[in-house]
Amino acid sequence: MFATLVIKELRGILLSPKFALTFACCSLLILISVYTGVREYRAERDGYEAALKLADSQAEEAGSWQRFRYRALREPDPLRAFVSGLSSDIGRWSNIAQDESVKLRHPAYSDDPLFALFRMVDFSVIVGVVLSLFALLFTYDAVSGEREAGTLKLVFSHGVSRATYLSAKGLGAWLGLVVPLAIPVLLSLALLPWLGLPVSNGLWLRLGALLLVSLAYFTLFIVLGLLISTITRSSSTSFLVALVVWIAFVLIIPRGGMMAAGQMVNVPRVAEIEGRRDAFAQDLWSKHYKAMEERLREERHSGDPAHTSADSDQEMWERMQREDSLRRDVEAQIQEFESDLMSDLKRRREVQERLALVLSRISPVSAYQLAAMELAGTDLAMKSRNEDAMTRYRDDWLKHVQARQAETGEMGGFVQIEISSETGLKIGGSRGDERIDLSDMPRFSPVRLSAADVLPSVSTDLAILVLGGLAAFLGAWVAFWRYDVR
Amino acid sequence: MWRTLVWKEARELLSSAKFATAFGVTAVLILLAFYAGARNHLQAVAQHRASMAENARRLDGLTDWLTLQEYRVFLPPSPLEALVTGVSSDIGRTAEVLGRGEISAEDSRFNEDPIFAVFRFLDLTFVFQVVLSLFAIVLGYDAICGEKERGTLRLTFAQAVPRATYILAKITGSLLTLGASLAAALLAGCLLLPVLGVTLTGEEWLRLAMILLSGLLYFGAFLALAVCVSALSHRSSSAFLTLLVAWIMAALVLPASAVLLAGRAVPVPSVDEVSSQKASFARGQFKDFATAMKDFKAPPDTPPDDIQALMAAFQRFSDSLSAERTARQKEFNGRLNEERRNRLRVQERFALGAARVSPTASLSLAMTAFAGTSLVLKNRFYDEAEAYRARLGDFLKEKTGVNVTGSMMVWRTTDDSETPEPIDPAELPAFEFRPTSWSESLREAAGNLSILAVFNLVCFAGAFAAFLRYDVR
Repeated sequence: MFATLVIKELRGILLSPKFALTFACCSLLILISVYTGVREYRAERDGYEAALKLADSQAEEAGSWQRFRYRALREPDPLRAFVSGLSSDIGRWSNIAQDESVKLRHPAYSDDPLFALFRMVDFSVIVGVVLSLFALLFTYDAVSGEREAGTLKLVFSHGVSRATYLSAKGLGAWLGLVVPLAIPVLLSLALLPWLGLPVSNGLWLRLGALLLVSLAYFTLFIVLGLLISTITRSSSTSFLVALVVWIAFVLIIPRGGMMAAGQMVNVPRVAEIEGRRDAFAQDLWSKHYKAMEERLREERHSGDPAHTSADSDQEMWERMQREDSLRRDVEAQIQEFESDLMSDLKRRREVQERLALVLSRISPVSAYQLAAMELAGTDLAMKSRNEDAMTRYRDDWLKHVQARQAETGEMGGFVQIEISSETGLKIGGSRGDERIDLSDMPRFSPVRLSAADVLPSVSTDLAILVLGGLAAFLGAWVAFWRYDVR
Repeated sequence: MWRTLVWKEARELLSSAKFATAFGVTAVLILLAFYAGARNHLQAVAQHRASMAENARRLDGLTDWLTLQEYRVFLPPSPLEALVTGVSSDIGRTAEVLGRGEISAEDSRFNEDPIFAVFRFLDLTFVFQVVLSLFAIVLGYDAICGEKERGTLRLTFAQAVPRATYILAKITGSLLTLGASLAAALLAGCLLLPVLGVTLTGEEWLRLAMILLSGLLYFGAFLALAVCVSALSHRSSSAFLTLLVAWIMAALVLPASAVLLAGRAVPVPSVDEVSSQKASFARGQFKDFATAMKDFKAPPDTPPDDIQALMAAFQRFSDSLSAERTARQKEFNGRLNEERRNRLRVQERFALGAARVSPTASLSLAMTAFAGTSLVLKNRFYDEAEAYRARLGDFLKEKTGVNVTGSMMVWRTTDDSETPEPIDPAELPAFEFRPTSWSESLREAAGNLSILAVFNLVCFAGAFAAFLRYDVR
């Protein structure tokens, strides 16, 4: 009896005119999303490689280790073709410099806002928005519609148990929707190497996990449709309830949760933090320069007028070495102050993010979207993950650069002008115009996620989706147990 | 007859469960969008003030304008920006205005707080684009075929009712009823703004009115489309499904895909590429400058112990070199920028032209044009920051007598021990961002409003023509 009911449900879905249209639409959307996603990834990858070369050639032209700056770049993840997430919202590179902290700058959307106006519709959006809507559309009247048509009474006149009926309905709908949709998904996966996406075992594993999470999400909406159909008496009411539930889950709760958290936890703007840092730095530098001025005045008054030009050069050089050491002390203090400010900012952001995630996870769409982003490495942690790696790299880089500076003893990049009533006007500096050798400079190893890194982190969201599906099925079962089939 | 039919349509709509549900959800969403927009705006204003205060703090205790470094300007938040976010959270909002380098705005909202980029904001654009268009379909998909299924259509035409009168009354009735209900919800939302402490100028109210008008035009287009499809179908389920597919394509897929595919078809040099060329040129310029500085010779008539005269002569020499260097760099940068902007313009025209196949793109472009959050905003901020930098440069030159370019460190030591006077920060010219003028916004939005109006007319005409041939049995 169970098999008969499943086949009946399956036939009802596959032979319905709405199935042909939705199947065609979903197939087209899945294929288009994967095609545009891969194209976007390749465009981003090309940009990344070009930027890498530019960073190297710019660095080589620096001419001096003294004011040498480098650039570390965030590498795009191939899975962003399926889940673009925050990849275009987060900065693409950070300066690596002695006098500047790591900060990801120039997000793709900031550089080219044209593409930010209408955001990319990727595979995760198709599943999150379109497939969930179609799942509800096929199941919202599974029970109430049969009651209206009178077939429910007919079925139960044959001694079918309610549990068998509901399970058969659920399984039939699941098979009728999942199996046909697997065709365009598998086809797009088969096309990946041909489209030019670099595929590896790790990527397939993450992609497999993404499909599993998508399946859990889609199943949840099928069961939710079943639940709605068992708690309503007429299909028109079921339709309205399903629509409101879908709008709330997909469109309102995720955004509302984030915005509520934004209002509840106030996080200062980076401009404010940087302003505080700069004011502190300005104060320290001002004191430093005053002290330096004092030292210069004293030296000038105690200077020996019989000194030769070579002696003066030597003295100037020693003075610069001494002042350089004091300058480094000031820089260290500023760095410490900035580090404290940034830690505080990070802590507040974490509180805000945690709250936002808890509030928005009321909706399965949030759970799905967050899991998909984590699997693709385009998640919320992408920024801190890359900035932390770049900060660690900066420490190695600084050691290397300081060692080179000590070796070469350059002051390059400055034009120093000294005006004095005793010695007149002197112009110096700007040594080291030649290209510098970067062959032994440490290079930034981009952050690459493996399946082992991301799989544990999606377990919470996957659990939410699976438990949500089970709870919805249980609810449907209880509601159907009391359902008046007449 | 016409009036009776309009009245019947309105009464039927108002008493239906689907209207109650759709209106309830819409009203809540509209109020939520206004409430969240107002709260976000107030928060953004507070953050903007805090950033400005910290920026001003760096002037405290300075005794010489020459020591002013890293001065920034900020793109101020506007109330309409919170209601129609556009690209305002995607573009950089802070720009450094001292120094010779080009203006580069940083700290976009989404880069700073990526949590808000995950699902973006619940603003009016979103409510109209996605939710109201869906409700227009839900309320209109069975306007004709639903009546046929219920048998009321045959009943109506058993009386001598002209088809043209019927369809016109049907469309007018739906449009007036839904338009009036929506307008009421929107008005309540507008009233929330002053209640929550957000004040709008007269021009901003006018802009808001145009934003809402664009939204209503868009809603009208989808409602007319729903009636048109309903008049082309005989079963309400197939009408709904067709409309749902059209909605998914128009609201979600077409604008983004068209912009991506058409936009990428026009190659534009990347920001990194252009910056690298500029940096390379600037390095060459600096080397030449540093070499040329060493060639300074005091004029023969300058007494060697007259430091003031020596300094003045050196300043003239340095200024002339700086001016040449700046002019050369500006010309080079200007050429690269112009080339990029031209390519971007072609790309934008091509991409947005393709996206306008969907009314959603036209709505978004019209709304952002009136809110001042369209693609123009980025260039506007850059231009304003550039103009301010020139004013600041003039001010500093007047104060110090030198061209302060940020990359030069001047170190003066004097033998007197007088305590120098602190500078007066109030003298510094203030940065005032001038948003696009009303006429510019209107010009920018006019084409998109016309497209929305044409969509309305075409769909109405389609519904009218389809119904004249409709089999009412």
